[in-house]
Amino acid sequence: MEIRKILLLALSLTLCAVVAQAGFDASRVISVVSREEGSGTRGAFVELTGVLAKNSEGVEVDSTYAEAVIANGTNLVLTTVAGNDAAIGYASLSSVLHSDTVKALRVEGVEASTGNILNGTYKIARPFNVVTNGNLTDPLALDFMRFVMSREGQAIVSDDGLVSDANGQTPAYVAAGLAGSLTIGGSTSVAPVMELLGEAYMELNPDAVIEVQSTGSSAGVTGALDGTYDIGMASRALKDSEVEKGALGIVIGTDGIVLVVNLNNPLEDISVEQARQIFTGEITTWADLNK
Amino acid sequence: MAAACVCILAVGVICYFLFANGLPFFAQYAVSDFISGKEWAPLRGVFGILPMIVGSFVITLGALLLGAPAGVLTAIMMARFSSGKAVRLMKPAVALLAGIPSVVYGFFGLMLLVPFTRSILGGDGLSILVAAILLAIMILPTIIQTSRAAIEAVPNAYYEGSLALGASHESSVFRAILPAARSGIVSGIVLGIGRAIGETTAVLMVAGNQARLPTSLLKGVRALTVNVLLEMGYAADLHRASLIATGVILFVIVMAVNIIFSFYNRRRVLQ
Repeated sequence: MEIRKILLLALSLTLCAVVAQAGFDASRVISVVSREEGSGTRGAFVELTGVLAKNSEGVEVDSTYAEAVIANGTNLVLTTVAGNDAAIGYASLSSVLHSDTVKALRVEGVEASTGNILNGTYKIARPFNVVTNGNLTDPLALDFMRFVMSREGQAIVSDDGLVSDANGQTPAYVAAGLAGSLTIGGSTSVAPVMELLGEAYMELNPDAVIEVQSTGSSAGVTGALDGTYDIGMASRALKDSEVEKGALGIVIGTDGIVLVVNLNNPLEDISVEQARQIFTGEITTWADLNK
Repeated sequence: MAAACVCILAVGVICYFLFANGLPFFAQYAVSDFISGKEWAPLRGVFGILPMIVGSFVITLGALLLGAPAGVLTAIMMARFSSGKAVRLMKPAVALLAGIPSVVYGFFGLMLLVPFTRSILGGDGLSILVAAILLAIMILPTIIQTSRAAIEAVPNAYYEGSLALGASHESSVFRAILPAARSGIVSGIVLGIGRAIGETTAVLMVAGNQARLPTSLLKGVRALTVNVLLEMGYAADLHRASLIATGVILFVIVMAVNIIFSFYNRRRVLQ
């Protein structure tokens, strides 16, 4: 009986959801979707858009709108925005590039693309760091880093939608055929590209095992420092407290952050200032944005 | 015997870990400020979890108001008002409901309940209301199974005696059997509270997770459990310690619920 009721409810809900899909209502309140405090993506976004600003006492305050929905991962941001006409969120370029469930906005007329981040015209971008505890000594870890920064490694980085600093002088990688295993952990944003790098490295060095864990930027730095990970990953610049403890960061590529809206939203372009106003709650309806 | 020792040891180790890691935080941040603070800005060193305490309380209460009557009535129906055939169908259904992973419940909520409430009632859709409805469904199997066992454990003599006095089937069930099964039903509800207050993934997906005091049922809210899961991956230093301390507060609340319940039960037995 209970089950049948739930099934009926589910069915009627689906119908309603389908009916509700027609037309875009600009008078709707904007559903702001943000990330949790401490997330590398959020840190980069609030810093790059000016949501994070000094208050009258000179303290940096993250004034993300208190009514903003908080999602704890890129996938939840995309799912939430895809399911809500009035939503806006942000995610890294690499995770949105292949997604057709949401619409990526141009920022000040510039499309979010690898080329535009490299030539500096796209405004919202951040570094992807690899973190080590002091200088690397483990031969396998050293060889892996040589691969990551080589022409082959940087080709993988740029194929994944990241912007690589590599130029014509970047050396080619020669496989050393080392054996052993490496544990790499940290930022959920860096993990996908690190997995690709690890797979390519294992193909060239069949006796090596590279394991990639995605736990978050801070966990990546902590793990690299306490030895849990041979190499950590962070999708933000290192904090002073982390550098003091001996953490060293190497930028393997730069990631753009993309503002995403629902496919039904007619908006195509947004300015950094408009993004700041939306994410601080100064603008609350889509109609106000277009004034 | 060995298994029992492992079980007790596990509880001990968890307690030790939680308090050993959580309590040092209170040396740096006053407990009263932590519990009564309305602002949560961990990167600025402001840790107030009152919004999360209220959040957990509100969605648990909502889930209980919706789920407890439905669960208890379902249990009564399964125990006393259904044919054997219907029960044979319902028992696995309830067991299945208990076995669905919470992330699946969360997805169900996000894809169906959220758009539904948004189109009918407005707002984001990610709200206290949806979280409460979802939790109500999630605690149903716990309440149904425990209550049903309690009702079926009541000696049939109660029922027959009531019938012999001329009472109808309905009033025999509700007036004679139900009071006798009360303590078992209450323990089912308490288990339901435990499940609701401890649920994390499903709530995270549908509640919006705003760390501020909610002003309406259609606004989002952040539960204590969600606060820990949401930020643990990226937290460092004092921020990380504050999340473990959030776990300590959650643990204390769950303990308090259990102690109050066992106290209530003992008093009833004494009476």
